[in-house]
Amino acid sequence: MDTLFTNVRILDGTGAQPYSGSVLVQGNRIRQVGRSTAAISPAGATVIDGAGATLMPGMCEAHTHFSWNDAATLAEIQTMPLEEHVLWCAKVARRYLQAGFTSCVGAACAKPRLDVVTRNAINAGQIPGPRYLAASQEITVPGGLGDETLPHLPFPEFSFGVNVNGAEDMRRVVRMFLKYGVDSIKLNLSGDNFTPQSPAGTTWMTDAEVAVAAEEVKLRGKRIAVHARSAASVRQALRHGVEVIYHASFTDTETLDMLEAAKDRIFVAPGIAILYAMLNEAEAFGITRARATEMGYQVEWDAALESLSKMHKRGVRILPGGDYGFAFTPHCNNARDLEFFVKYLGFTPMEAIRCTTLYGGQIMMQPHELGVVKDGYLADLLLVDGDPLANLAILRDPKRILAVMKDGAFAKEPPIGDAFGRLLAGSEAQRAWGRAA
Amino acid sequence: MADVLFSNVRIFDGGGEAPFTGDVLVQGQRISRVVKTGHGQRSQPVAGVTAIDGGGAFLMPGMVEAHTHFSWNDQPSLDAIQRMPPEEHILWCAEVAKKYLDMGWTSCVGAAAAKPRLDVVIRNAINDGTIQGPRYLAASQEITVPGGLGDTTAPHLPQPEFAFGAVVSGPHEMRRCVRMFAKYGVDTLKINLSGESITGMPSEMSQFTEEEIRVCVEEAKAWGKRVAAHARSTWSIKKCVELGIEVIYHASFADEEALDQLEANKFNHFVAPGLAWLINTCHNASQWGLTPEVTRKMGYHRELEAAIESMKAMRKRGIRILPGGDYGFAWTPHGTNAKDLEYFVRHVGMSTMEALLSATAWGGPMMKMGKQLGYIREGCLADILLVDGDPLADITILQDKARILAVMKDGEFHRAPPLQGGRAVRTGMPATVTRWAA
Repeated sequence: MDTLFTNVRILDGTGAQPYSGSVLVQGNRIRQVGRSTAAISPAGATVIDGAGATLMPGMCEAHTHFSWNDAATLAEIQTMPLEEHVLWCAKVARRYLQAGFTSCVGAACAKPRLDVVTRNAINAGQIPGPRYLAASQEITVPGGLGDETLPHLPFPEFSFGVNVNGAEDMRRVVRMFLKYGVDSIKLNLSGDNFTPQSPAGTTWMTDAEVAVAAEEVKLRGKRIAVHARSAASVRQALRHGVEVIYHASFTDTETLDMLEAAKDRIFVAPGIAILYAMLNEAEAFGITRARATEMGYQVEWDAALESLSKMHKRGVRILPGGDYGFAFTPHCNNARDLEFFVKYLGFTPMEAIRCTTLYGGQIMMQPHELGVVKDGYLADLLLVDGDPLANLAILRDPKRILAVMKDGAFAKEPPIGDAFGRLLAGSEAQRAWGRAA
Repeated sequence: MADVLFSNVRIFDGGGEAPFTGDVLVQGQRISRVVKTGHGQRSQPVAGVTAIDGGGAFLMPGMVEAHTHFSWNDQPSLDAIQRMPPEEHILWCAEVAKKYLDMGWTSCVGAAAAKPRLDVVIRNAINDGTIQGPRYLAASQEITVPGGLGDTTAPHLPQPEFAFGAVVSGPHEMRRCVRMFAKYGVDTLKINLSGESITGMPSEMSQFTEEEIRVCVEEAKAWGKRVAAHARSTWSIKKCVELGIEVIYHASFADEEALDQLEANKFNHFVAPGLAWLINTCHNASQWGLTPEVTRKMGYHRELEAAIESMKAMRKRGIRILPGGDYGFAWTPHGTNAKDLEYFVRHVGMSTMEALLSATAWGGPMMKMGKQLGYIREGCLADILLVDGDPLADITILQDKARILAVMKDGEFHRAPPLQGGRAVRTGMPATVTRWAA
């Protein structure tokens, strides 16, 4: 079914100013983008009169954890049984798509195969969800972030991440995840203030361990993504050729120089929402501002704003997304990151949009066909009620996301009531199935 | 949830009477009014409801599948089912659950799952709205003995994870096994009392000791659970009656004594023969190597004849026979379950009315919901199908998704009626035109 959007304000995702026009989708691709109101011949396409709504590329979430279950601790995520966990992931995947995220980069999952299975089910059409790159569990070291085993419960199943100790141990674990079919391997190079025994400033993986992971991943054409909050961990990632760097809160001049030198290769997704939430919005979960400050979040927040502002000035690609899926950062508020970028990092709204569109196509490894409203590109599109450049907050309001199209098909249909007042059976069925998966 | 008024529908109310033209009002999750129209009577006006003009469509209670295996994955062997990893398996179950509801089965009785928690998790996910599916009673795995039906371990691969069923030996292990499934939250314990010819142990043979069965029933009752048995052999049917196993699956080889026992206790038992398995294994499985010659040697043709005779005799004696059973193999794919009603008419001698009642009126007690389910009557739960055509004239139309115009479960449309196109089914919703931007 082809679709023609007429009378829309096209925000093409490249950073160019929006313009009025129409967009023709044929099959799964954008076939024609018309500037001005001159009509494109519909030729059998379903015509959607946008009435001046904004048409923009679907958003990309650069640091996604479908399997985080909106709990307040890692242990609570891990204790969800496997079967329930899969259904949870399926439900969250559908919600992300409906919220306007047509692509997501998996950043780690809570059990070995959750991401892979969810990606496969999306691709097979079994469940609705965004384009997805599947991650491994977090690979960590004994005592590091993600090691949730207890001295009397040392079993690997109790652990949120996978513990490795030594280069050969790393090789075996990386090979196991590659066998399972992940798109990326996640390494925890630094600690996190969430786990006081291994705070954000600590860096504990050996270069030998990281090198083996990099070697194995390269052999199979996959990618490494790292949790790296400390300056030392960011430098370690850059030394080993890592492309996807999560957090990067603490930097110094040397680290910034290294980041800038690698700027055409790397992506930074800071996930600052969790820092903000821990300081300002976690009191209901027992973390007062005083407690968060004691845990080190104020120091990290200040450092992160400085580091990321500098990176932005130096032209490093910074992308939204990150660590939604905790009680204090519930899933599907992810577009809030764009507002944080403007408010705290000195982005213009247009730069913030570009992070989730143009850069999104790039981090999804489809730079020439995804993330821009352009002839020949994949038809991942949002119809938005209002102007996101004037108010980014509308991108996290389900009522303002009028329609979501992924790969040429509506994941969320525009709310059309026809002139005869008939319920449209098709859309009813669509909604019903939407609830299902 | 909007209230719904179906008008101009032919109502089959589940009581066994001929259908009548009338209106059905659904308020909340229940049927609040059933009115005969025509003959000078007309419906009372209602306000604030979604009005659906059925255009003479057939309105009947949602159907109940009495022997459901969501986790069978349309494969040709137990081993192929068991090899599906748990993550994929749970997504498969979710997909199948929706398919059953699509096809008009608003209730299903789980008859065994292929991994310990699949049924329980699916039931819970349906109930909390995570996925769409019928009302569901969750079963355990099949409890069996070493070497019995469902023991798919190999001598060099003895790990329990390789077994399709839960393998126990002795009353002590039986008790432990039942307790484990009760802990997981099943509604039903499934026990394999007889063999199954395709697995090597013939259907006429029985595999458990009486003591083991007794412990299973005793322990299940202690936890308030129901027991259901795979019981093809004569001995196993009798043990179901003698030891109080409520749900009897298959019951192929019922002799005179077994029939007498069943008749004397006919409101204590449900029989779901699962004829589809026998019929299609005998006649429609050649593509998977099971030619009629092969299945004849296995004994299935003889069993089919025996099962048909048994069901005919049970029907005459008023024993409750219900549809469903062993859909989910390659030659009995999920979603084709309404064939059972056709088989009841063609082979067992039921009228189309009896076949419909077997899927509706007996469904309520089978679901442990008494007369709240299975009827289009005031106060009953609103599980409703709108069907294009008359199943009493042609029972096979219930196999056709396109003829099942709408499926409502618990007062909510799972599939709303198509309001444009071939059939004259329309709503009286007020016209609204939505614009998205000022």
